[in-house]
Amino acid sequence: MKSGPLKTGLLTGALALLLAGITPAKAVDLVETPYFAKMIKKGKVPTVDKRVPAEPFIVKFEGDREIGKHGGSIRTLIGRAKDVRYLVVWGYARLMGYNADFTLEADILKSYTVEEGRKFTFVLRKGHKWSNGDAFTSEDFRYWWEDVANNRDLAPSGPPRIMLVDGKPPMVEIIDEVTVRYTWDAPNPFFLPRIAGASPLFLYRPSKYLKKFHGKYGNAEELAKMAKAEGQRNWASLHNRKDNLYKFDNPDQPTLQPWVNITRPPATRFTGRRNPFYHRIDAKGRQLPYIDKIVMNQSDGKLIPAKAGAGEVDLQARNLAFKDITFLKESEERSGYRTGLWRTAKGAHLALYPNLNVDDPEWRKLTRNAKFRQALSLSIDRTLINESLYFGLALEHNNTVLPQSSLFTDEYGRINTEYNIKKANRLLDELGLTKRDDDDLRLLPDGRPMNIIVETAGEDTEQTDVLELVHDGWAEVGIKLYTKPSQREVFRNRIFSGETLISIWFGFENGMPTADMSPAELAPTSQQSYQWPKWGQYYETNGQSGEAPDIPAAQELAKLNDAWLKATETGERAAIWHKMLRIHAKEMFTIGIVSGVLQPVVISHKLQNLPEEGVYNWDPGAMFGIYRPDTFWFKK
Amino acid sequence: MLTYTVHRVLIMIPTLLAISVLVFIIIQLPPGDYLSNLIEELKRQGETAALEKALFLRELYGLDRPMVEQYAAWVGIWPGNTGFDGLLQGNLGHSFEYDLPVSEIVGDRLLLSFIVSFATIVFTWVVSFPIGVYSATHQYSVGDYSVSFLGFLGLATPNFLLALVLLYFANVTFGTSIGGLMDPEYLEQGWSIAKFVSVLEHLWIPVLVIGTSGTAGMIRRLRANLLDELQKQYVVTGRAKGLHPFKVLIKYPLRMALNPFIADIGNLLPQVISGAAIVSVVLSLPTTGPMLISALQSQDLYLAGSFLMFLSMLTVIGMFLSDLALAVLDPRIRLGEGTSR
Amino acid sequence: MSDTTHNKDERPLEHYVSREPFDPYSVEKLTPEQERYYMASQWTMMWWKFRRHRIAVISGIILALMYFSAIISEVIAPYGLTARDTKHIYAPPQGIHMFHEGEFVGPFVYGYKTKLNLKTFKREYTANPRKVQPLRFFCSNEKNGTYEFWGLFESSFHLVCPAKRGTFFLFGTDRLGRDMFSRIVYGTRISLTVGLIGITVSFILGILIGGFAGYYGGWFDTLAQRLIEIIRSFPELPLWMALSAALPVTWSPVLIYFGITIILGLLDWTGLARAVRGKFLALREEDFATAAELMGAKPGRIIGRHLLPSFMSHLIASATLSIPSMILGETALSFLGLGLRPPITSWGVLLNEAQNINVVALYPWLMLPVAPVILIVLAFNFFGDGLRDAADPYK
Repeated sequence: MKSGPLKTGLLTGALALLLAGITPAKAVDLVETPYFAKMIKKGKVPTVDKRVPAEPFIVKFEGDREIGKHGGSIRTLIGRAKDVRYLVVWGYARLMGYNADFTLEADILKSYTVEEGRKFTFVLRKGHKWSNGDAFTSEDFRYWWEDVANNRDLAPSGPPRIMLVDGKPPMVEIIDEVTVRYTWDAPNPFFLPRIAGASPLFLYRPSKYLKKFHGKYGNAEELAKMAKAEGQRNWASLHNRKDNLYKFDNPDQPTLQPWVNITRPPATRFTGRRNPFYHRIDAKGRQLPYIDKIVMNQSDGKLIPAKAGAGEVDLQARNLAFKDITFLKESEERSGYRTGLWRTAKGAHLALYPNLNVDDPEWRKLTRNAKFRQALSLSIDRTLINESLYFGLALEHNNTVLPQSSLFTDEYGRINTEYNIKKANRLLDELGLTKRDDDDLRLLPDGRPMNIIVETAGEDTEQTDVLELVHDGWAEVGIKLYTKPSQREVFRNRIFSGETLISIWFGFENGMPTADMSPAELAPTSQQSYQWPKWGQYYETNGQSGEAPDIPAAQELAKLNDAWLKATETGERAAIWHKMLRIHAKEMFTIGIVSGVLQPVVISHKLQNLPEEGVYNWDPGAMFGIYRPDTFWFKK
Repeated sequence: MLTYTVHRVLIMIPTLLAISVLVFIIIQLPPGDYLSNLIEELKRQGETAALEKALFLRELYGLDRPMVEQYAAWVGIWPGNTGFDGLLQGNLGHSFEYDLPVSEIVGDRLLLSFIVSFATIVFTWVVSFPIGVYSATHQYSVGDYSVSFLGFLGLATPNFLLALVLLYFANVTFGTSIGGLMDPEYLEQGWSIAKFVSVLEHLWIPVLVIGTSGTAGMIRRLRANLLDELQKQYVVTGRAKGLHPFKVLIKYPLRMALNPFIADIGNLLPQVISGAAIVSVVLSLPTTGPMLISALQSQDLYLAGSFLMFLSMLTVIGMFLSDLALAVLDPRIRLGEGTSR
Repeated sequence: MSDTTHNKDERPLEHYVSREPFDPYSVEKLTPEQERYYMASQWTMMWWKFRRHRIAVISGIILALMYFSAIISEVIAPYGLTARDTKHIYAPPQGIHMFHEGEFVGPFVYGYKTKLNLKTFKREYTANPRKVQPLRFFCSNEKNGTYEFWGLFESSFHLVCPAKRGTFFLFGTDRLGRDMFSRIVYGTRISLTVGLIGITVSFILGILIGGFAGYYGGWFDTLAQRLIEIIRSFPELPLWMALSAALPVTWSPVLIYFGITIILGLLDWTGLARAVRGKFLALREEDFATAAELMGAKPGRIIGRHLLPSFMSHLIASATLSIPSMILGETALSFLGLGLRPPITSWGVLLNEAQNINVVALYPWLMLPVAPVILIVLAFNFFGDGLRDAADPYK
């Protein structure tokens, strides 16, 4: 042939392309994990090339983080036995998860695509297996959707609410062994964030394991026998008992997390052992996690700072508070750890919630008036609180987004947060509250003295301390503050029913949102928003109970929230966010006291790949999740 | 002897019954219960699967039935939803917070509770006996005063505060791990010398803390009783007749003085158990105390109720045993005059 | 004559006749001291016997002083209950000195030199030898404002005040900069009175039930005995805990306070009832009781006028010995978070705030409230002992 070499070249090229397409992306040589050496010899665990999926996730390290070595156990402490579920939170193996910049990226999934915000196509990794060796395929997704979420016995009230858009479930297509598609008629902006959440929505189940306990697949008689043996009423409750991917209290149930709980409750010491079939490897071919075990010892919450200081942990953040920082710092040397100070990411560490739905008519007039709320805020000496309780390291901001968020502006953060008694007095006078009694307390129009009872859930002396400091400032403008510690259930019920005037609680759950995260917290959408419980209830129950919002600003927020749900562009969403944040800044529906309080994190000197300064948050953040504990390792 | 025993046993039964009523009433006093609270919480979160389960549990255990029926079902004298299945049948109930039968949760901790209580009682005896005797025989000496003073100090100090201090002190000085009854590594392992040593290292703190107040009381009683006896005629006679003073002491008065030791078990046991409860909270011991407190606070009906019943039963049985021992020791009681506590 | 009867003075025994007038009652006549003794009333004798017990007397004085201080807490405490000095958070105690650089200055304290160390997150306090702050006595502390003395009148009179622009933290400060000494003084009020109210409840219940059981016997007696046994078999603390957990959270702090005292009293009357019952059983057979009955006295009168007074002293002694257990009980409950809670200040609440590793390791002076607890309990014990010894002066 005249074009012999060219043809060969093209052919070779085509062949190469072809091969590249079907050759797995395993460009790395896998290294065996020493922990499994004995078990591999006994034949209990296959060799690493059979354990890692054909298309594993190859972790790339940047900056200070480096490739590590296998081995070691992380000791940590939990306050209650049920916190063994933190293995799922920290493990943070999700279909897609947040990384340290709070952007979503595929994790368990090889890839995913979103069209028009309503059509989600997920592609799994070939050869991915559950922790017991069963194959992880789209069958597990089908099993959950058809046989669990839509099964009358297992879920009498239907699939989880988040799977419904406008009340309609999605169309679920199992396209092939590794591809699943969910399609709704309208956008579902909550879908992905929930999947990536700390306590996530699991779209899949270990179908091979659970089918044994399912009425459709198992032998009815055997199921009845099994149920009775375990003290369960029928196969449905047996199945429910065995199926706890989050609670993590069934050591037999397979998981995809990096560590598997091997301790059967009840126990005071739980061990999470490495998952032999975990899907992530490092660039040198080591299967993650580096750490062999996570050992969680249960202890009384009050003793945990003492034990941490005594060097009994390698990693600890939960049950440590800023007030323990002095002791922790002092014990660093003798116990061999360092104390990181990470930023918490709540909108405010503590915020006051004037109840706009309070029963008392006189007070209701005031709580619904922005000037009153602003006056209360201006009479709080935040600097004093910051210096007394937080060494001046917290931010004296409103209950709004934190400076680390791209949505932050100085106006949102600082408007009406200065300590200005004159201005506060002026505002209160403008409201007509000019009469005072002998003790210089202002009087309500009906003659009652302005005694404000602030209720707390009684769980934390920090709140009572802060209120003591707030008390003095309010006294300067003629308002007397009484603190009433209560108990969580009672505290909540009183707010919901309108008996509570002002309550104190944490600020917004997510203080570092991106425009693509839901702003629902800012609008009256939930009874759990202590400033407008009845409006929230109205929204939650679709108008069946509660009251409709009747302040223009609140109605505007509700409209904006609806608009966000329909928006499809990030730019659009950001604009809506800003509008809502501006309304909050002007109206001051909640009175934030301080934010950005530091969380002490005890980290053993030997533990590597943790950030110097991180963010400690539940969702997004998963406590340590976004920093990938599976990449932590011990340097001798 | 036999009639006395039978009599005591017969009395125990209505006592236990009455205690069970009391316990039940007390547990039910706070409004609501664990399941109702949980159901509210789950409704809010929209966790439908867990909600179904909770509602199912509530129905299974008849928590929406009238109080009297619930009580009867718990004790086992009335059929619940699963037939006769209550305390009398050995079913301690179901803990909602842990989602496990109570017997499984309690089992672990019982052994350790026993160990701690037993060790404390032994400690109390071993310490107070020689001190009490010394104190009585060397009345008004320096030793007597200082020992009495120490005893009083032990009585007056709120022991739980001491616990935390000792914990810290032991950690800084001896490197003992904080809290718990042994180093965490041994929790799973079987018994070995190392594990035993570790338990001892940790045990002395709760024993010391719980035992100090009991010891003080015991020393005083022993001293007072012994002093009384030593002034009696027969002692004087014995001494006058030339008996060695030591023998005079041992042969008769001490036997009488043992009376409060035995009688006091009845008093000591509830004290030790309740003292142990609060101290184990502070020290984070895996005994019954901390569990009881959290069960009470979260209103986990069966866990709290069964626990309280267990503790009361321990006490009642303990008192019965001590009465029995006393009857053996002191014929006067046997013959119907009653104890002179 | 044998050797044994050999006397030194070998005088024959003299016959001795006294020249004094004969008084047939001379043998029986009492010396003035003896007369006083025999003519003394029951209460006087008790007082004498009590007085001999030195330690009990001292304890009594201490108790009286402490109860008195509860009345005038505002005067004794240099700072008010809510006074805060946020510049001196977690300040260690200031010692009182008399001599400064060799010279006598009178009682004074050294001021603080404070530094905030942001590396160790510690507030470092050192005594500044250049800041000599003499204490003032019988003064008024301007920074503190005035207080209302029992709601009667306003005053700002204090026993001790810090120097005009100084501080006086005898026992250091807590996490909000509140003076521990003042807080302990104010806590006295709550902690001491809890015992009193509880003991009243216990007293009344004990006398009523024990009295009827002992006097009437029969079915009431058996019932009462069973009841007593049941309550005694109950482990104290868990029962307290359960009852405290049952107190509705919505109650005001004052109501909770009363609830706690009543709970403590409700569980304590058994010991008293037993003692009363035992005594009644014995005493009702006594002659004086039979005599009264024969003379037509009603049972109420017999109990109240004849039986009770004869062992009231025992009762008082037992009651006194029960108070410390109530004080410890309240302390324990507040410590567990089940009793009183801030903003009420009692020693138990203060100890609850001191129960964490930070305090033990870094700020141990916050555990000082344990000292008055020990003091009071010891004082009550010794006092009660003395009373009990004195209660039966005829022994």
